[in-house]
Amino acid sequence: MFDWILDFYNWRVVGQYVPEFTRGMTATMWISLISLVLSLAIGTLTAIMRMSANPFLWRIAAGYIQAIRSTPLLIQIYVIYFSLPALPLLGRRLDELEGGIIALGLNAGAYMSEIIRAGIESISKGQVEGAQSVGMTYLQRMRYVVLPQAFANVLPPLLGQTAVLIKDSSLVSFIGVFELFGAGLTVLSERLMPNEAFLTVAACYLAIYGVMMVVSDYAQRKLGGARS
Amino acid sequence: MMEVIKLTMPFLLEGLWMTFKISLITILCGSLLGFIVGMLRTVGGWLVSFTLGIYIHALRGTPFLIHLYLIYFVLPSTGISWLQLEAFPAAVIALSLYTSTYVAEIVRAAIEAVPKGQSEAARSTGMTALQNMRYVVLPQALKMMIPPMGGIYVIIIKGTSIVSVIGIAELVRAGEHATQRHPRELMVIYGMTALLYFAYCYPVLRLARWAETKFGSVRLPS
Repeated sequence: MFDWILDFYNWRVVGQYVPEFTRGMTATMWISLISLVLSLAIGTLTAIMRMSANPFLWRIAAGYIQAIRSTPLLIQIYVIYFSLPALPLLGRRLDELEGGIIALGLNAGAYMSEIIRAGIESISKGQVEGAQSVGMTYLQRMRYVVLPQAFANVLPPLLGQTAVLIKDSSLVSFIGVFELFGAGLTVLSERLMPNEAFLTVAACYLAIYGVMMVVSDYAQRKLGGARS
Repeated sequence: MMEVIKLTMPFLLEGLWMTFKISLITILCGSLLGFIVGMLRTVGGWLVSFTLGIYIHALRGTPFLIHLYLIYFVLPSTGISWLQLEAFPAAVIALSLYTSTYVAEIVRAAIEAVPKGQSEAARSTGMTALQNMRYVVLPQALKMMIPPMGGIYVIIIKGTSIVSVIGIAELVRAGEHATQRHPRELMVIYGMTALLYFAYCYPVLRLARWAETKFGSVRLPS
């Protein structure tokens, strides 16, 4: 039995690769974090554009959201990684990491945008009118009144989408970015041990997911308490 | 450019056909499995519900890419002969398992969205729990499950792009092959691939939105 387990999952080999896996996990978390910030910025901007009365603005936002939602992330990564370097204004090649992060940010941005829009729509009109009546400008209203409440209202789906983003970040390994899944691929190619490689990677992702669930529970309780 | 489009289109369409086949089989298998899991989770005892909860969280907490590699590379090394899967069944099984977690949540949410008074009324007229489920709850719940299924179908279609890594000649794979033949027209080819995906997914999303106005929908716990 012991032999069979060691044959199926040799933890000594995994032990040798602990630095790789740690490096991969750190990379995954950084990539996810930067993409998250990017996607929230894009999401907020396009959500506001989508709700604007200007047909030009909302058409651009709606087109972007539809395009992202109807194509797979993998194709988006390929298109961005291979096409952005062709743009002359950049002046240099975009490296894999930058391409991957931009693709992830643009992809998650479309989903975030829909969630944030729902959040903004959930704010009652009286709030905006109240802010207007004390003389706040549009930007001030958004910044101090609407957006803080909107984000608080849609925190659970935002966190859910963040979990999706973390999982999706595994796809940037396809264009050669080193992250958690890439660490698994390294073990596979160096030792030809798929079990040790991918079961470990799966466990690492589950650990990240577990932390996410705890954080999301905490945030929900905290906000829920303040609300009721 | 037109030349390349004309040359590569047949290959891409072949890839799209494969994508279509996989996504269709998957939505059938995945929905069935998800329906069973969702029903068991609602009507089963706490142990069943707990076990299936772990199943759902384990699949939700890891990327689909990992499921695919586990099923295609890790299962065969258990040495059990029926777990030695070819690429196509491995892809369909991995995608179906992944889909089932989403469907299970939809099924549960829809069943719970049927007002309690309905079940109470049914039980008070002497219906058994099974009859109540069969004649009162499910007919109402099924309607609410239809609109979100459109979203699931699109998730599956997009998920099929990933199975290209285990060598299935679907749309992305076909695109990659085409770019190897015409490396200079890479952008055109990937652009066309994206357009084909769009042509497949967009109508489904529209249909789902239409169904939502018609049947109403359930709010999914995220």
